[in-house]
Amino acid sequence: MDFRFSDDQLTLAESVRDYLAGTHGPEVLRRLDAEGNRDPAIWQGLADMGLTGLLVPEAQGGLGMGLVEAALIAAECGRACLAEPLVDSAFVGVPWLVARGQTDGLDEVVAGTRRIAVPHPINPWLADSEGAALTSVDPLRNLAVAEATEADDLLLNVGALMSAAQLVGLSDAMLSQAVEYAKVRTQFGQPVGAFQGLKHQLASCSVAIEFAKPVVWRAAQALQDGLPSAPVHVSHAKLAASDAAMLTAETAIQVHGAMGYTYEVDLHFWMKRSWALCGAWGDRAFHYHRVEEALLGGAQPIGPEHTFA
Amino acid sequence: MDLNYTPQQQAFRAEVRAWMKAHVPKEPLVTLECREGYDQHVAWERTLASGNWGMVTWPEEFGGRGLDLIQWLIFEEEYFRAGGPNRANQNGIFLLGPTIMEFGTPEQKARFLPPMARGEVIWAQAWSEPGAGSDMAAIQSKAVRDGDHYVITGQKTWSSRAAFADWGFGIFRTDPESKRHKGLTFILFDLNSPGITRRPIRQLHGDTGFAELFFDEVRVPVENCLAGEGQGWNVAMATAGFERGLMLRSPGRFQATAKRLVELYKANAAHASPAAREAVVQAWGSAQAYAYNTYAVAAKIMAGGRIGAEASLNKIFWSELDRAMHRTAVQLLGAAAELKRFADGSVNQWLEGYIFSLSGPIYAGSNEVQRNITAERLLGLPRVGAG
Repeated sequence: MDFRFSDDQLTLAESVRDYLAGTHGPEVLRRLDAEGNRDPAIWQGLADMGLTGLLVPEAQGGLGMGLVEAALIAAECGRACLAEPLVDSAFVGVPWLVARGQTDGLDEVVAGTRRIAVPHPINPWLADSEGAALTSVDPLRNLAVAEATEADDLLLNVGALMSAAQLVGLSDAMLSQAVEYAKVRTQFGQPVGAFQGLKHQLASCSVAIEFAKPVVWRAAQALQDGLPSAPVHVSHAKLAASDAAMLTAETAIQVHGAMGYTYEVDLHFWMKRSWALCGAWGDRAFHYHRVEEALLGGAQPIGPEHTFA
Repeated sequence: MDLNYTPQQQAFRAEVRAWMKAHVPKEPLVTLECREGYDQHVAWERTLASGNWGMVTWPEEFGGRGLDLIQWLIFEEEYFRAGGPNRANQNGIFLLGPTIMEFGTPEQKARFLPPMARGEVIWAQAWSEPGAGSDMAAIQSKAVRDGDHYVITGQKTWSSRAAFADWGFGIFRTDPESKRHKGLTFILFDLNSPGITRRPIRQLHGDTGFAELFFDEVRVPVENCLAGEGQGWNVAMATAGFERGLMLRSPGRFQATAKRLVELYKANAAHASPAAREAVVQAWGSAQAYAYNTYAVAAKIMAGGRIGAEASLNKIFWSELDRAMHRTAVQLLGAAAELKRFADGSVNQWLEGYIFSLSGPIYAGSNEVQRNITAERLLGLPRVGAG
């Protein structure tokens, strides 16, 4: 029993964080927003780091890592508000293909020349896919109508897990933006962040985020280990992460005041991605009902001795 | 990350479960906040100690079993699974004990820890004063050095367990010229010393558990000072860290409440609102989240890490979770929520629990103070009033 990431996992996540912080700042989001949303150079950079092949087995030229590492990196993608479809393709599509034994062509995924977008009936549309275009509130999200006939549970669970992981990263970033703004914006002769009215709201976001994270990591481990209870933990993670993100988004815009309502402040990219992901791969009601059914129906053992059931 | 118990950990769980099954009182004890209930709870502490379960993480020489924090969590899970009583000993084993372990001399450890583990000496906290609540650095009670004694004069209040406990600990101003955090000293004292008057405070529920303490030239030997004169603030902050961070409220307590809440919901489902049902589901989720976080903190400490200001996040989370769970319970009970005893004569534990849960966001540093600490020390926002 050791609820900690290994040093290797932390180093990996940190290297992705540093890379994205250095190459994928808000100015990049603005350039993409003005120039067509996708940039092959950014995608190639992700492939060069090995991220497109993170979950591809080593036999196919990938890194052969697991959902726990992918969730950690998905959180970093959320933190950077990454626009490229790395998570959907490499952390959702790939593990689904691998689980089905469909490993042909994964070397192209590793190289970055092939992307995977798998439809599921729970999503009436899909990001970075082919089909009639739809417009998302998130200006950097390319949506297309997607028809799916097969309701595959693993696909749904991996999609929901990776959405939850991105949401905690997005929440961290929104909280950090609000804090930085509150430090420099002065009114009544002091930084507005010195007022308890703001401090307490921001502290509440911190509580929500820090107690959503272990739920996400636990869900990642449960899904990676193939626990029968994994779907409950994934839904729990999606609920906790969505609630933390919605609270943090609303608080962050409030802290920014009127500036938060402008297109000029960066916050809106993160906020809109959060809104989009809260509904993707199962909305709040879907995941709530899955948890409720397992709990009240008795399928999920509860009580102090069942922490890791 | 490995979220599986080892065979040894599973065997330990089985051992705790068997012992608890054989020893936990079948009927709930009378509330700790009255003489009769206090005596029952102290008797339970001694029963626990007879099985060597007083505080499993302590070294054997101090009355523990030398176990690690994961084993402690397993112990706590089984304790609450079995419906174990609240710990009369909590100020000692969870707060003062770890503080003495960190700051005490070998003599102090040998003198104070074993009787603490055995439940022979029950400890009261004495932090707050009438003018120093959330603002603890405003403490005025004085301890004046006189030869090999301190002479304590002043007043403490909201002193938990003090109505009936044996010994107390708190911080006192040893440097009369000092202000705020400086010049304070952490002192342990016998509550039956000449010059101490206890005035029990009647609480919201009508019973008395905490008390005011009046010190009138109380002589305390200098060897009862912990970590040296003037170090009181740092020592007290460490104690508060233990209180808010890991020990005081282990997750099993809330997971057990969440489980009982699910059962209460099922019994009252016919007239429950959808909002109450969702609150029940949320209660399980939050209790689980708290447990995961505690396992993560335990792993961090076992790897040599420490709990810092993030203890404030913990305290906010568990206290507000506990209140929310009990609020949901009294809503589910409907009209019966007001009854102190149900028609069948059984005590309405949910009502008692709800009233107690209202103190959670206040004690151990109010949640407003915890949010300030979170904002200033974790998020880096400017201190209140900074220009």
